[in-house]
Amino acid sequence: MQNQQSTPKLELRNITKWFGPKDTGVCAVDNCSLAVQKGEFICVVGPSGCGKSTLMTVGAGLEQPTEGEILVDGKPAGPPGPQRSVVFQKFALFPSETVAQNIKFGLQMCGVDAKEQERRLVEQLKIMKLEQFRDAYPSELSGGMQQRVAIARSLVMQPEILLMDEPFGALDAQTRTILQEEVQRLHREHHYTVLFITHSVEEAVYLGDRVIVMSRRPGRIKKEISLPRDVVWKRGDIEVAAEHPDFIAARREIWALVREEIIAQ
Amino acid sequence: MRINFLNRTRSSDSSRLPLIYGAGSLLVLLILWTLSTSVLGWIDPMTLPSPAEVVARFGNLIVEPFSGSTLAGHVGASLYRWALGVGAAVLLGVPVGILFAWLPGFRAVFNPIFEVLRYIPPFAWVPIAILWFGASTATQAMVVFIAAFPACVINAQLGVQQVDPILVRAARVLGAGQGAMLRRVVVPVAAPAIFTGLRIAISNGWMALVGAELVVGKVGLGFLISQGQNNDSVSTIFVGIIAIGSLGVIIDTLLQRSETVLLPWRKPRAQRDG
Ligand SMILES: Nc1ncnc2c1ncn2[C@@H]1O[C@H](COP(=O)(O)OP(=O)(O)OP(=O)(O)O)[C@@H](O)[C@H]1O
Ligand SMILES: [Mg+2]
Repeated sequence: MQNQQSTPKLELRNITKWFGPKDTGVCAVDNCSLAVQKGEFICVVGPSGCGKSTLMTVGAGLEQPTEGEILVDGKPAGPPGPQRSVVFQKFALFPSETVAQNIKFGLQMCGVDAKEQERRLVEQLKIMKLEQFRDAYPSELSGGMQQRVAIARSLVMQPEILLMDEPFGALDAQTRTILQEEVQRLHREHHYTVLFITHSVEEAVYLGDRVIVMSRRPGRIKKEISLPRDVVWKRGDIEVAAEHPDFIAARREIWALVREEIIAQ
Repeated sequence: MRINFLNRTRSSDSSRLPLIYGAGSLLVLLILWTLSTSVLGWIDPMTLPSPAEVVARFGNLIVEPFSGSTLAGHVGASLYRWALGVGAAVLLGVPVGILFAWLPGFRAVFNPIFEVLRYIPPFAWVPIAILWFGASTATQAMVVFIAAFPACVINAQLGVQQVDPILVRAARVLGAGQGAMLRRVVVPVAAPAIFTGLRIAISNGWMALVGAELVVGKVGLGFLISQGQNNDSVSTIFVGIIAIGSLGVIIDTLLQRSETVLLPWRKPRAQRDG
């Protein structure tokens, strides 16, 4: 709680989002407020269709909220840009470009010089274990590898805020586990500020410093649960963590909240 | 058993199968043609000349000018007009199609005009083209252009519309402006559809050209055919028809080849990760 005194890195203030005309269209998000502190990892869970993606898209600046405002460091956030980087569930790699070209894309858009582009590319390929795939096209890669490229493409921009919308939702269970552990490690080492959307309560408990449970549509914030940060069980593998009593208790509590919303739908 | 079956369909043997069948059916057609004309004499040579006659006429047309040009001259004239017309259609039509899909305002203004024009058959323009340009290269090129343009526009538009909006969003988040987005994401992703448009444009243009040459001009494959008719030379007509068909196939094959070279990312190379 002591975090909340400082200016949040990213703040969504009283966000309401209607698709279509107000009152006759669809209300996807209803008066949601949420603040992500610098270095914090926030997970948002909620039933399918409750407005999680909408909340993130609005937070990224890709859609305008009907009401409310988005603040970065306490100032109104402008148009979307590399400082608020997004990783999408469907990878969203550019199919006509190689892994290296995809990762360099944002650097080139920002006018980073060629030598620096190369340096950061090589560094990122190493971090995401993609060295061998440098010249492959996305269609030649497995889903897990594609998502690694998408994450690398975001991280190479050294974003202040990382927004991830169910990044592992389209992956098989084994690949997902590996990537969850890797994201956990990245966050521990680099202290990224992350807003992470997920279906999976386990994932949220394992990764999140705080978990936000959303209600069924129109999405409201139902409850926030703070989790112990940087504890030993979070440093290990997710299967090991999942056996820790704190993990089990948190998962049970959060799952009960999500379940209520699903049943009421 | 099942696994064997799957492996078989992937082997290079079976990928050559359509080619073998295709060559086979052409051969059968040729045999039937030979049998019914020179061997059995079922068909009167003035109705259908024998293959030997057509080949002889072909050799003759290569060396001896007919109605002002050798065969090469007629082919060259047709290809030139066709290239002008199709080239203009592609250079103009593809950007128009991309903008139709990218800028709703642009589409709102120009699409009605496009829709009306597109339902006018290319040949309806022949009289006006003659009035404007006389019996010149420009006349035929204009007919080719009109026949080829709509396919370029429609397919480019379709291709851009089918680009997953999430790619555009990803590019925006990475800081891309409109220009970079079109150049590096939208147009490459739409390229296969654009290529389909080119193939249709090329064949439409080719067909319209031969039609236009039948009515106007003093050189070209269409003109060669009409001269064959005027001179009661059925074999000349056949040489012309076969040349038109073969050139069409050759151009289309070249384009398909260039597609695999220009869009290397479409065909996954061997999967490199387990
Ligand atoms: N562009 C749009 N136009 C109209 N309605 C939309 C649009 N995008 C989302 N919606 C609606 O808003 C609601 C919330 O959608 P959203 O994608 O944010 O949910 P979600 O929580 O991310 O769902 P999921 O868990 O399935 O990803 C849904 O009912 C959806 O149909
Ligand atoms: Mg979603």
